[in-house]
Amino acid sequence: MVQMTINGKVVKAPDGEMLLTVIRRQGIDVPALCDHAAVEPCGSCRMCLVEITREDWNGWKKYVTSCLYPSENGLIVSTHTPELQEIRRNIMDLYLARCPGSELVQKMAEEYGLTRTSYKTIPEGDNCIMCYACTRICEVLGRNAISAVHRGHAKVISGPFDDPPPDCIGCLSCANICPTDVIEWHDQDGTRAIWGRTFDLISCRQCGKGIITRDFAEYLKEKRQIPADYFEICDDCKRVELARKMGGLVDLAKEVAS
Amino acid sequence: MTYRYTVNPSRCTGCRTCELACAFTHTQEQKPGRSRIYPIAYGPDRFVPVTCLQCDDASCVKSCLFDALKRNETTGAIELDKDRCVNCRACVAACPFGCALVDDVHDQVVKCDLCGGSPACARFCPTKALEYKRIA
Amino acid sequence: MRIDSIEKLDKWRKECRRTFEAPKRKVIVCLGEGCLANGSEEVFNEFKKLVAEKKIPDVTVESVAKTGCHGFCALGPLVIIEPDGTFYTKVSKGDVAKIVDKTLIGHEIIDKLLYTDAKTAEKVANYEKIPFYARQQRISLRHCGTIDPHKITDYIAVGGYAALGKALTTMTPQQVIDEITKSGLRGRGGAGFPTGKKWATCAKAPADVHYVICNGDEGDPGAFSDRTTMGSDPHSVLEGMIICAYAVGSHQGYIYVREEYPLAVVTLQKAIDEAKQHGLLGEHILGTELSFDIKISRGGGAFVCGESSALMRSVAGEVGEPRAKYIRSVIKGLHDQPTVLNNVETYATVPAIVERGADWFAGIGTKKSTGTKVFSLAGKIKNTGLVEVPMGITLREIIFDIGGGVPDGRKFKAVQTGGPSGGCLPEGKIDLPVDFDSLTEAGSMMGSGGMVIMDDRTCMVEVARYFLSFLVSESCGKCVPCREGLYQLRELCAKVCDGEATEEDLALMERLAKTIKVGSLCGLGQSGPNPFLSTLLYFRDEYLAHIRDKKCPGGVCRKLITYAITDACTGCMACISVCPVHAITGERKKKHVLDKNICDRCGSCYAVCKFDAIEIS
Repeated sequence: MVQMTINGKVVKAPDGEMLLTVIRRQGIDVPALCDHAAVEPCGSCRMCLVEITREDWNGWKKYVTSCLYPSENGLIVSTHTPELQEIRRNIMDLYLARCPGSELVQKMAEEYGLTRTSYKTIPEGDNCIMCYACTRICEVLGRNAISAVHRGHAKVISGPFDDPPPDCIGCLSCANICPTDVIEWHDQDGTRAIWGRTFDLISCRQCGKGIITRDFAEYLKEKRQIPADYFEICDDCKRVELARKMGGLVDLAKEVAS
Repeated sequence: MTYRYTVNPSRCTGCRTCELACAFTHTQEQKPGRSRIYPIAYGPDRFVPVTCLQCDDASCVKSCLFDALKRNETTGAIELDKDRCVNCRACVAACPFGCALVDDVHDQVVKCDLCGGSPACARFCPTKALEYKRIA
Repeated sequence: MRIDSIEKLDKWRKECRRTFEAPKRKVIVCLGEGCLANGSEEVFNEFKKLVAEKKIPDVTVESVAKTGCHGFCALGPLVIIEPDGTFYTKVSKGDVAKIVDKTLIGHEIIDKLLYTDAKTAEKVANYEKIPFYARQQRISLRHCGTIDPHKITDYIAVGGYAALGKALTTMTPQQVIDEITKSGLRGRGGAGFPTGKKWATCAKAPADVHYVICNGDEGDPGAFSDRTTMGSDPHSVLEGMIICAYAVGSHQGYIYVREEYPLAVVTLQKAIDEAKQHGLLGEHILGTELSFDIKISRGGGAFVCGESSALMRSVAGEVGEPRAKYIRSVIKGLHDQPTVLNNVETYATVPAIVERGADWFAGIGTKKSTGTKVFSLAGKIKNTGLVEVPMGITLREIIFDIGGGVPDGRKFKAVQTGGPSGGCLPEGKIDLPVDFDSLTEAGSMMGSGGMVIMDDRTCMVEVARYFLSFLVSESCGKCVPCREGLYQLRELCAKVCDGEATEEDLALMERLAKTIKVGSLCGLGQSGPNPFLSTLLYFRDEYLAHIRDKKCPGGVCRKLITYAITDACTGCMACISVCPVHAITGERKKKHVLDKNICDRCGSCYAVCKFDAIEIS
């Protein structure tokens, strides 16, 4: 355990735990757009910036992203100085120029008193805030199907060489984790379309409802040894099946008893 | 594990109290559709309250690629870490009993967590078809 | 032949020296990239052909030697006749026959091909007397232009790998680190981190595997010194890396070369192969326990890959994006192992320090910035090229004494140091001593040593816009302040250039610049607003002229200037033929007329007019 000071309060935390986790445990609300529990922090949104210093730094201080700075003994952390709020406001201002249509961005910008951007709205901008949550979750999944392609301002999330990603299994993790819901997909007639690819959905053997894509089921079978026939029936039908089987046993027991 | 959750279908009258208790405990709404337990009729006046069996070698845990499902060693429940869950529904598809559920209102995967050690369904079950008993 | 002991190395050196020094007279043709682009290979081949034909007694085919870059790229192709040191500039294939007949056979000097001193207008025959060379002190470039980079024997002949021999046989790894620390050598890549300290931390980091990486991703526009070092003296870089490997206990090194330097890759690969063949690289170097291999890793041409953590990701085959800064690459670098990453110039300097001692090196330059630094002179300067000077020399000396000042009789306005993320220093700072700390203090930085000189026909707002555009397209795009912030800053700069900005916009730009500076993840973003901030600091009046008076004092910003034809017009019709929008009309030998309403302000007429008859206002 290490001891730090956060906004004037002495706080203990496990050595090396990222500051953002510690700060939030204290009930302090530090904003972040690219942070998600299931993926490694990446420090792209810069909203969780905090000011750190130490006694022995003789007044020198620096700004670090709290999601990517490990706790250490003697750290003095400030989370809401006027300078930091100004930086966060400017960053939201930039986001607002890039993603004017995103509700999440609008909501967060409003917290800093921004209703419209001070900058030029980017004509080709979509609601992608480039938080990399989708690429990081795909990495955790072990597929690495999508990544950021191109550079700088032209950067977009896509498959390799901006083509449909061959390693995608249509699991929708990327679309689900996306904080601004920009990843488009749709299920239709037993297929799922995402990232320019179309996947077969397994249909429930009994009721015909779509379950998961066949590629995802294959991947789970291969990686986690889940028997293939588990994926053949939907959860609704499986529950009815369970009730029927258990009920059968109850009836049998009653019969035996009488 | 010090407690065990048991289901005795022969005592179930299909009164659906468990369903309401569950929905209210987890969502503060008394909508049966948001419950983690479903009494299902398998014959005239014969019901089985179907809920997660907290399997030892659980398929849902195995299928989760993000470690969002973990067993609480005290209560014995397999709990879903909502922060880590990305709603890929591998667990829903992988559970052989269909007991990892989807909350249709929020389009979110939900799972019985035994209410953190005091399952509401068992507390409210008038016929003791559902029980949560100390075993050690 | 495998060299497995110091004795064998010394013996081999004697042989190499004999061959190297055998020809009494030598014709040296520069085949550095600059001269090559100007056709020096043809010149070289012509010399070989003619010398073979003419059968001159003291000049044989072996006497015609090619070397790497001499640094004076503005005057290429360069030919030097040794031992007299006769220095011929801008030699074409057609000049070769004359040189062979007159100089090689007749021992005459051809005045026409000599260098003309910028100040005295006199011809200078010997290159050592040319101010461009006379004022330099070459350490990292010590062999550039004297040896053939494709021959390891040349490098051995001039004392190559002696430092490695000294380190391996007479020094412990700790002693090597101590020597580098004592020399005060600071990283030549730009940030100026003490090299000795870096090596010491890496050596101490507990791990089975340590890596040594050479950063040859010289991406700054206007900087080309690393290219020259890699292409003209590759073995110095290799030797420096091997010494570093010995010091930190590494077995594998990488040289990261940018895509745009194909010749450097060829030269380096040849050097690596030759060094391996002779046992100077690979298993049991010089018969000792040290085993070290070097691989070339080719970049894809991304500026951000010059940033250390992005570079390491790129070497590992991942997308070149910087990572969080709390992880230090000397502890966890390439493949999460301790890694030393230094610039080409740093490694090239190391053998000299090991050979001649830390005290010698520390005695050069200033107290906090020891040694010499290579600068690439580019832009509006007479002597475009590479110079190596002691630290602490003033900008005036570099630009005016060595660089020859601004051409075409124009006035010096600013110098941009440290590449796109550096800053522009005005005439008032011309007596600033050039070292790491004073440049940073003045709002610029050392960077990789690029110096872009600008004359009075430069618009500083346009300069800021240009460099910001470069950074916008080269930002990796990972973090918001850099990706979105630099883009918006560039857009605002363009607004100023177009005369459409207000003073509120300027205030917004300053606020934004601050956010980008403190909010960005890596050095690219953190120094990204520098082109704007430094031009604003020293040329605020120019910004205000654009905003308040809708005027561009440099006469560059198209929307704010007008072209006119003055009475100096002789009616040569040159401008009429180049004007793409046909805005100029007139007859031969009569003053032409320019229609301001049609004029697109492209500047073609200005560029083509020989009589200064085009006026920009």
